[in-house]
Amino acid sequence: MISVTNLTKTYGDFRAVTDLSFQVAPGEVVGLIGPNGAGKTTTLRCIVGIQRPSAGQVTIDGHDVVASPVEAKRKLAFMADEPQLFEYLTVMEHLRLTGRIYGVADVEPRASALLKELQLEGKEQALPAELSRGMKQKVAIACGLLHEPRALLFDEPLTGLDPLGIRHMKETIVARGRQGAAVIVSSHLLHLVEEICTRVVIIARGMKAADGTLAELRDQAALAGSNLEQIFLAVTGREVP
Amino acid sequence: MTSAFIYLVSCSFRNRVRSQLKRLRQPRYLLGLVVGVLYLYMIFLRPSSRSARPDFGSGFTQFPAETMQAAMSVVLFIVVAVAWLVPGKRGAVEFTRSEVQFLFTAPVTRRQLIHYKLLRGQLAALFSSLIFTLLMRPGVGLTAVRVLLGLWLTLGLVNLHLTGVALSRASLIEHGASGRRRFGVPALIVGGAVVALLWVVASNWATLSALDSGREVFRELVRLGTTGVAGVILWPFRSAVALTLASSAGEFGLAFGIVAALFVLNYMWVVHSDTAFEEASAESAEKRVRNPMAARPKVGKRLKTPFRLAPRGRVETAILWKNLILVSRYVSVRTLFRLLPLVVIFGVAFSQSSRAGLAEMMGFFSVTLIVMLVLMGPMLARNDLRQDLSNLALLKAWPVSGRTMLRGQVLAPTVLLSVAVLVLLVAAASLLTPTLMRAGVSWSDQLAYVVSAILVAPALILGQVVLQNAIAVLLPAWAGLGSSRSRGIDAMGQRILLTFGTLVGLVIGLIPAALIAGGVGVTLYAMTDRVMVVIPAIASAIVVLAECWVATELLGLVLDRTDVSAIEAEER
Repeated sequence: MISVTNLTKTYGDFRAVTDLSFQVAPGEVVGLIGPNGAGKTTTLRCIVGIQRPSAGQVTIDGHDVVASPVEAKRKLAFMADEPQLFEYLTVMEHLRLTGRIYGVADVEPRASALLKELQLEGKEQALPAELSRGMKQKVAIACGLLHEPRALLFDEPLTGLDPLGIRHMKETIVARGRQGAAVIVSSHLLHLVEEICTRVVIIARGMKAADGTLAELRDQAALAGSNLEQIFLAVTGREVP
Repeated sequence: MTSAFIYLVSCSFRNRVRSQLKRLRQPRYLLGLVVGVLYLYMIFLRPSSRSARPDFGSGFTQFPAETMQAAMSVVLFIVVAVAWLVPGKRGAVEFTRSEVQFLFTAPVTRRQLIHYKLLRGQLAALFSSLIFTLLMRPGVGLTAVRVLLGLWLTLGLVNLHLTGVALSRASLIEHGASGRRRFGVPALIVGGAVVALLWVVASNWATLSALDSGREVFRELVRLGTTGVAGVILWPFRSAVALTLASSAGEFGLAFGIVAALFVLNYMWVVHSDTAFEEASAESAEKRVRNPMAARPKVGKRLKTPFRLAPRGRVETAILWKNLILVSRYVSVRTLFRLLPLVVIFGVAFSQSSRAGLAEMMGFFSVTLIVMLVLMGPMLARNDLRQDLSNLALLKAWPVSGRTMLRGQVLAPTVLLSVAVLVLLVAAASLLTPTLMRAGVSWSDQLAYVVSAILVAPALILGQVVLQNAIAVLLPAWAGLGSSRSRGIDAMGQRILLTFGTLVGLVIGLIPAALIAGGVGVTLYAMTDRVMVVIPAIASAIVVLAECWVATELLGLVLDRTDVSAIEAEER
């Protein structure tokens, strides 16, 4: 579903991502982790077409993000770390606008179900300025899920959420994976990645450092019985456990 | 504590200048500075332009001192009346978020905080006075100093008074009945003054509407404003203005005494206020940082949308809907349409031959507004890609091609400005009918000109909006992210360059339209022996529309290839 092949992204002389390749199959929830500045957000932004790759190819359900951006973007949703909302649109107007952009015929019932799922009932007429950081995050996620995308990308999805919100968000992500969507979750919260992801890709200095299930990563790092944090520190060379 | 405040103000000023100097390393700001300085030199300091104006004392403006004094005193009165009578959402005393964080938690008294804001307010007033003095070009030496001092004291007095009004309003909430008394009595007096002024105009309506020219109407209004009840009400405002317009040292001294007394009275009123403004100020500062629009007063019902967005249809319509909401949260498009019948009724009423003066004045005012809207409107109405540049990452994630995005984006400002121009055109046509008839322009010709203008104006507006959005696509750093606008001479120079570039682009873009319209016009004249304007207008509008279509196709390709990170990097 999501295929990243030899992705490279440079800013002037600086290489943010170098020759990165990985695939995410339908039903997989892949954790994308790495230290600060490793290139996680750049990778996600290249996958969703916000940034153009300097080299390499990204396809969504067979559609090249650069050559056929409209077809590729129809299949995916990106939930950024900082929720971007229009300050002058209410919650419901955000959903109506998103529905029209993605050609969703039955916006109202889908929007109601999503608002209920994300505990945003009663906030339909609220403007973003009246919402907390966590609620804004939920609105952005509701907009992303409205067209039932087949590829989902979450960048730090738990930021600003309360404990109940965190629990619901984890359930939402896992449920989308079970329904057959290809999901990428980028986060520094390693326990979250360990809990909900079926596979993990670790990147460091813009390059892939490891890729596999937790068991495979343990084998690769030769750290039997270790948790993801220990593996992460070992793979990225930050600290030898 | 005062020394700490002076340190804060001076450091802020020094560092702001430093950062403005630092950004000159970027060519666009350096180029902007060169253009900005040249502009200021040409406008204010060029010897030939200075000598072209009469010196101070003989009237340094094109209007008689009495007229200027009356007009400026009315403006001051409106500022004060609005402050008393129209509630705003701003805090009693405005502080930035950093000021709230550092000063509100420090061992600083409320009175010291007010002194700090007054200090900042006076510095801002001094800067504004300097600009106004340059604009008024009173000459050099003592005269210029007198004008600068006069303006500074007047603006400082207004600033002081507005702070007092805001504190009184806050007291209304904090002190209940006594607060109501403290705020209500002066507010009632101001409200009464407004009613009295309106009554003066209403009772002289017959005289005003019977005058033959706009100039005579204005002269009569000045007379009314300086005599009788209106003269008494506007006296303090005229006195404040007299300080700037004084033509002799004696006049200046007298006005200075009055303004100084008003200044001291207002100062005493403000510093003796015991209103707790901190909470409201902190909340207001927080809102301004989170959402600059939230701090502005909302007009209209916020839940209304310009039209119902169907679940399916063209994406351009959805973007138009979104961008119209941005405006309609503040002004409804329907309101403009609702005004149309009123405008027509008033226009017809004023168009009676015996009431030509007022109609002519309002008609020419409408024409001026139309020209300003067509030429300046597209630069100012930024509810398009310029506003959305700050959301570009979100827009780029949508399954929408660049050309579709651009076409959707340019619609909202074009629709809004075109509706406004349409309303004003109808008004101008109704008001100027007698004048045009006297000038020998027949009914049918007048109708043809109006129809042509209705056809051409939206095309001109669209052309300019496309040009403005082209700047946002090709030179996003010049367009500025969202509603933010850089300040300084370099930023002013940038805007001059952009304005000049837009006008050049418009002229170039209009050449094909003008050629084709001219060709059609000449052909029609040869065929019918009559000058026809409507068909050439249709031809020119079609050409401009076609040009805009091609431009959005090409710009769309660029937008598709635009890397959001490049824009974000340029803004840093």
